[in-house]
Amino acid sequence: MLSSSARTGASLLRAKPTTTALVVPYARVAVANISQSSRSEKPASALTPQHGGGLAKLPRREVPLPSQEGTKGVVQYALTTLDQITNWARQSSLWPMTFGLACCAVEMMHLSTPRYDQDRLGIIFRASPRQSDVMIVAGTLTNKMAPALRQVYDQMPEPRWVISMGSCANGGGYYHYSYSVVRGCDRIVPVDVYVPGCPPTSEALMYGIFQLQRKMRNTKITRMWYRK
Amino acid sequence: MSYITRTLGNIRRIGLKEYWHQLQYIGDTKAGTLVGVDKFGNKYYENNEELPLRTRWVDYKMHDFDPAQIEPMWHFWISYGTDTIPDKDPIKKIAEARSWATPHHVPNYTLTRGAYKPYNTVLPKIKAWEPVAAPRQ
Repeated sequence: MLSSSARTGASLLRAKPTTTALVVPYARVAVANISQSSRSEKPASALTPQHGGGLAKLPRREVPLPSQEGTKGVVQYALTTLDQITNWARQSSLWPMTFGLACCAVEMMHLSTPRYDQDRLGIIFRASPRQSDVMIVAGTLTNKMAPALRQVYDQMPEPRWVISMGSCANGGGYYHYSYSVVRGCDRIVPVDVYVPGCPPTSEALMYGIFQLQRKMRNTKITRMWYRK
Repeated sequence: MSYITRTLGNIRRIGLKEYWHQLQYIGDTKAGTLVGVDKFGNKYYENNEELPLRTRWVDYKMHDFDPAQIEPMWHFWISYGTDTIPDKDPIKKIAEARSWATPHHVPNYTLTRGAYKPYNTVLPKIKAWEPVAAPRQ
């Protein structure tokens, strides 16, 4: 009896769950593309007083994402096919640049061992940045290492992607308040995929790689060029 | 264990249409019994004559598939945590009776409109400078 009354009490205290955002079936949420996301329409030089952030009170405006616009016309269909071929060629046999900095690197090494076997996906770790497509930043990025990270990133040929692995690389993590640690490697290089965890498991990293491949699949290369 | 007789035998069992479908998504030709379908419509198959850890597989409903679309209890089954499928598992009733939990499995909304976007809830620590241009005389 006690437990049942406690349960009802708890249900009374509890706010009604707002399930509207959660119930939306994922089929209806169209695939968006992060790489071609928001760009402010105003020029940066415009004099606009900024009232120190806070919660924006802008009216809500629904704009179709680049991925939600359908293909229209012969040219777009042809370019879509071209994009699909390019993306297909890109997404398999990613060669990551190993940027193992801390304990996350051990999990990254596990990915290449027979249990998770990244070779079956065509993923081979390259020691040279000039031959690699992806950089996996695994571990705490210190201030001392940051210039080296940026240099290695600059040496990678286009197209290049970055996977930030682990809490430390995502946002400083445990060492966020340290005097010598960069609070997230996205302050140094643009990051495509963030893999959470401390350290993330090898499965999590592999899932991150799959997410990156999914992102590549949805990239509009020639279509964006044609739009310009 | 992908020798030609196995592939041909499996094609004979599943048909050419399913063979093409599997080649697009799994990259292998597999024949098994349909064990169950979850709420999303993902189909789960099993064939215990396959090699260990390849005996259970899923046929996703969506073209843009993602392992996070597998429901938790099916995930437990497909990861060889249990042998009883979720439809027959007594835990399912307990799991569905939890009022505090979301009724549906929430997939990964990354790359979609529903993606998680963090926002700031504290007062800004920096006051921005308001530019004042003196009018021209």
